[in-house]
Amino acid sequence: MNTNNNIYTVVYTAVIVIIVSAVLAFASSSLKSRQEANEKAEVVSQILTAGKFGEKSEWSAKGNDAVLAFYKENIAEAYTVNAAGAKVADLNTADAQVYTVSDLKAQNYNIKGGSDVCLPVYVFKNGTVVVPIYGAGLWGPVWGYIGFEPNRQDMVGAYFDHDSETPGLGGKIKDDPSFRAMFEDKAVDFSDATPFAIVKGGAPAGKINAIDAISGATMTSNGVSEAINNWLNAYKSFLTAVVPASEENQLRGRMMGEPTNAEEE
Amino acid sequence: MANLKETILNPITKGNPITVLVLGICSSLAVTVELKGAFVMALSVIAVTGLSSLVVSLLRKTIPNRVRIIVQLVVVAMMVILVDQFLKAFAYGIDKQLSVYIGLIITNCIVMGRIEAFALGNEPIPSLLDGLANGVGYGAILIIVAFFRELFGSGTLFGFPVLSAIGYTNNGLMILPPMALILLGCVIWVQRSIQKDLQEK
Repeated sequence: MNTNNNIYTVVYTAVIVIIVSAVLAFASSSLKSRQEANEKAEVVSQILTAGKFGEKSEWSAKGNDAVLAFYKENIAEAYTVNAAGAKVADLNTADAQVYTVSDLKAQNYNIKGGSDVCLPVYVFKNGTVVVPIYGAGLWGPVWGYIGFEPNRQDMVGAYFDHDSETPGLGGKIKDDPSFRAMFEDKAVDFSDATPFAIVKGGAPAGKINAIDAISGATMTSNGVSEAINNWLNAYKSFLTAVVPASEENQLRGRMMGEPTNAEEE
Repeated sequence: MANLKETILNPITKGNPITVLVLGICSSLAVTVELKGAFVMALSVIAVTGLSSLVVSLLRKTIPNRVRIIVQLVVVAMMVILVDQFLKAFAYGIDKQLSVYIGLIITNCIVMGRIEAFALGNEPIPSLLDGLANGVGYGAILIIVAFFRELFGSGTLFGFPVLSAIGYTNNGLMILPPMALILLGCVIWVQRSIQKDLQEK
């Protein structure tokens, strides 16, 4: 058979491409539900880690079902808020409905572009509030979650993830537990020009709303810092519009901050 | 039989795709920071090289010569996407870690190189073995490099603290791509000083 015939070549290529597309379409549709379940469980386990409900690595080891079951049991309400801090819509907690990373990306455009934002908030039964952040690292997007005390000022924990930061350097935002542990006794302070800072060369001792940057990963640290500030500013009305206790706590935060500063001097 | 043995052993030693043919360097620099990633990458490449060599070998008599590269590319791309989809469904954490590099297996010269050089002119079974063996040759180097990079760069092996447990200070250079190239050079040096017939006159 002459396989160099024009008609044969065209028909052959077309048939091969159709067969391959069919195989891929079949694989994609049959694996889709599993992949989406994995993605949802990943997001939920990151939210749980940020809210100080266990560690990410433990949740990954326990599997998707355990993660979702724990989330459904402990979540009080999940909803979206606008820039004024008012509730827009409820997220279905019985189904563990969460904003995926691509949803966060879309909201990041809204935050930067100034169009109407619709930001997710996860409120747990013990009062912990978890909000996401999203921004640009050195090589690709970085995102994460920050957990707040019921007063929405003091942080309980954080978790960060990234697409392609350098492993061992920028990748530490995800891999190094000591980086996210620094968030645990910090707080956001909207009276400051930057509500939360990641400082190269080390944060001033006793400063309640700053942590140390990762050495060797300045660009990633800056990216995370920018993401946190952009998003927390977008959440400003929501985070500040609480209970009188918040002012009290902010005050307590400052008072805790100053004496240490004085000692340092 | 001797021929088959040669087909299997040659890509692992004297015809190693990385250290002798110097193919597939890009991904071997990128995914060797940690052993776990290198291990999964090696398995993925073994699957892709083996299966695409097999499929192309089965089709070899029907492929129109003028579009053979495109047909091969379609087959390789299909295999890579299948591997990626399977990892996303069954090993989500590792797929996240390897991110783009699984997709980039398509551009790995070893896969296309073996199809052009071997699978197009040989029976399916030897082609499958040749593909698998080349994947193993690639994976072995990946694991050797990753072993040293993870041990001296992060002080761990497969994530378990080894050197870091005895107070070793991590060497930041080890986790950057240039060090992978230097280590690769060392592996080539060692191999050539053992197998003297590889040395050019």
